[in-house]
Amino acid sequence: MLAFIPSWVEPVATYMFKEGLKLTVQIAAVAVAGSAVVGIVLGTLLTIRWWPLRSVIRLYVEIWRGLPIIVTIFLIFFALPVLGIQLDAWLAAAIGLALWGSAQVAEATRGAVASIPREQHEAAAALGFGWVGRHVFVIVPQAARRLLPPLVSLLVNVIQNTTLALLIGVGEVLATGQRETETLQAPPPISVGDAHALAIYGAVAVVFFVISFPLTRLAALLERRLATA
Amino acid sequence: MTLAYDFQWSFIWDNHSLILDALVRTLEISLIAIAGASVIGIVLGAARAARIPVVSQLTAVYVEVIRNTPILVQIFFVFFALPQIGITLPQFTAAWFCLMIWGGAFNVENFRAGFEAVPHEYREAGLALGFSRLGTFFYVTLPIGGRIALPSSINTYSSVLKNSAIVGPAVAYGELTHTSFRILEATGRTFEIFLVLGVVYLVLVWSLSALIRLLEARLALPKEVR
Repeated sequence: MLAFIPSWVEPVATYMFKEGLKLTVQIAAVAVAGSAVVGIVLGTLLTIRWWPLRSVIRLYVEIWRGLPIIVTIFLIFFALPVLGIQLDAWLAAAIGLALWGSAQVAEATRGAVASIPREQHEAAAALGFGWVGRHVFVIVPQAARRLLPPLVSLLVNVIQNTTLALLIGVGEVLATGQRETETLQAPPPISVGDAHALAIYGAVAVVFFVISFPLTRLAALLERRLATA
Repeated sequence: MTLAYDFQWSFIWDNHSLILDALVRTLEISLIAIAGASVIGIVLGAARAARIPVVSQLTAVYVEVIRNTPILVQIFFVFFALPQIGITLPQFTAAWFCLMIWGGAFNVENFRAGFEAVPHEYREAGLALGFSRLGTFFYVTLPIGGRIALPSSINTYSSVLKNSAIVGPAVAYGELTHTSFRILEATGRTFEIFLVLGVVYLVLVWSLSALIRLLEARLALPKEVR
C-alpha cells in the first residue's frame, strides 16, 4: 500500500467496497430491471383509449410518483408485515424504488409510444399483427430510442436513492461508511477515538459522483442527439 | 385472507395534535428551503445564462456535485462530517439548509434553461431602449424566462417537499416522517400511521401539482411574446 495513506483506511475501504457496494449494486439492479419492465408495459397500456384501464394505471403512476420514495419504502418494510408480507430489508428498498421508477418509466413510455405515427400501427395491422404483436415488434422498439435518455436518468436516480435503504437498516455503501465512522470514533478501549467522518462521507460522495457524472452526461448527450435527429 | 390486525382509526384523532405540529414543521423547513432555492436558482441561473466568468464555472461545479451525489450523503456530510471541522448545525438548520442546497442546484438548471430560452432579440431590444444590463434582466429576461422556468421549478419544489421526509429521520428533526416513528414507538399502530403519512404527503404533493396547472394557465406568456 502507498506509504502516505493512513493505516485505518484499508480495512475501512475494503469493508465498504466488499459489503456495502455489493448491496448497493444489488438493490439498484433489481430496482432498475423492475422499473423498466413494469414501466414499459404500463406506459404502453396507457395509450389504450379504454378509460377504466387508463384510470387505474394513472392512479398507480400518480401515487408512486407523488409519495416520497422513503415513505413508500417505509410502507413496504414496516406496514406490509401487518398484512403478513415480510420482506428482506434490501428487497423492500428495491421494490420501493421500483414502484417509483416504474411510474417514471410508464409516463415516459406513454409519451414515446404516442409519438409513433399512426401509419406504423396501420402498416403493422395490415401485416396481420394483433395489438400485442404490433406493440412488441413494431411500436415499442421504435419508441425505445426516445426512451433511452429517461432510462439513463432513471438509472442515476435509482443508484443515488439506494442510499435510502440505510434508513431501514440495510448495510449498503453509506451505511457501511457510517458504521466504520462510528467504530473509529469510539473511545480508546474499543478503538482509537479518531474522527474520520469528513474523509469517509467525502469518499462516499466521490464514489457516487464518479458513477453518476458520466451517466448524467450520457443522458444529456442522448437527449441532444434525439433533439437534432 | 383473514387479517389478524385490528385497525384502530381513533388513533389518528388521539394523535392529531402531534401530527399537525409535525406537518407544520414539514411545511416550515420545506418553505424556507424553497424560498432559498428560488433565490439561488434565479441569481446563479442568471450568472450561468450570462456566462459571468468564475461565478459561472463555480456554479457549474456546485450544480454537478449536488446533482450527482445522493441527498442522504449530503445530509450526512453536513450533519455528521462538518462538526469535525467545527461547524455544528442544529437539527432544524441542518434540515432546511440541506434541502435548500439540494433544491438550489436543480433550480439553477431550471432558471438557466428558462433564461436561455428568452430570444436574444428581446434582450437586445431592452439594451437598445437604454436599459442597463441589470435593468434588462429584471424587466425583460426575468419576467419571460421566469415564466418559462416555472413548471420545472415547481417540480423541483415538490421534490424538496418530498425530500423533507429523508432529512427528518436522518437528522432526527421532528417533521412528519420522523414524528411518525415516535408515534409508532408510543402506540405500535404501524399500519395506520404509515397510511396516514402516505395520504398526507399525497395531498401535499398533489396540491402542488394542481397549483402548477393553475399557475401555468394564469402565467402563460401572452401570445405576442411567444
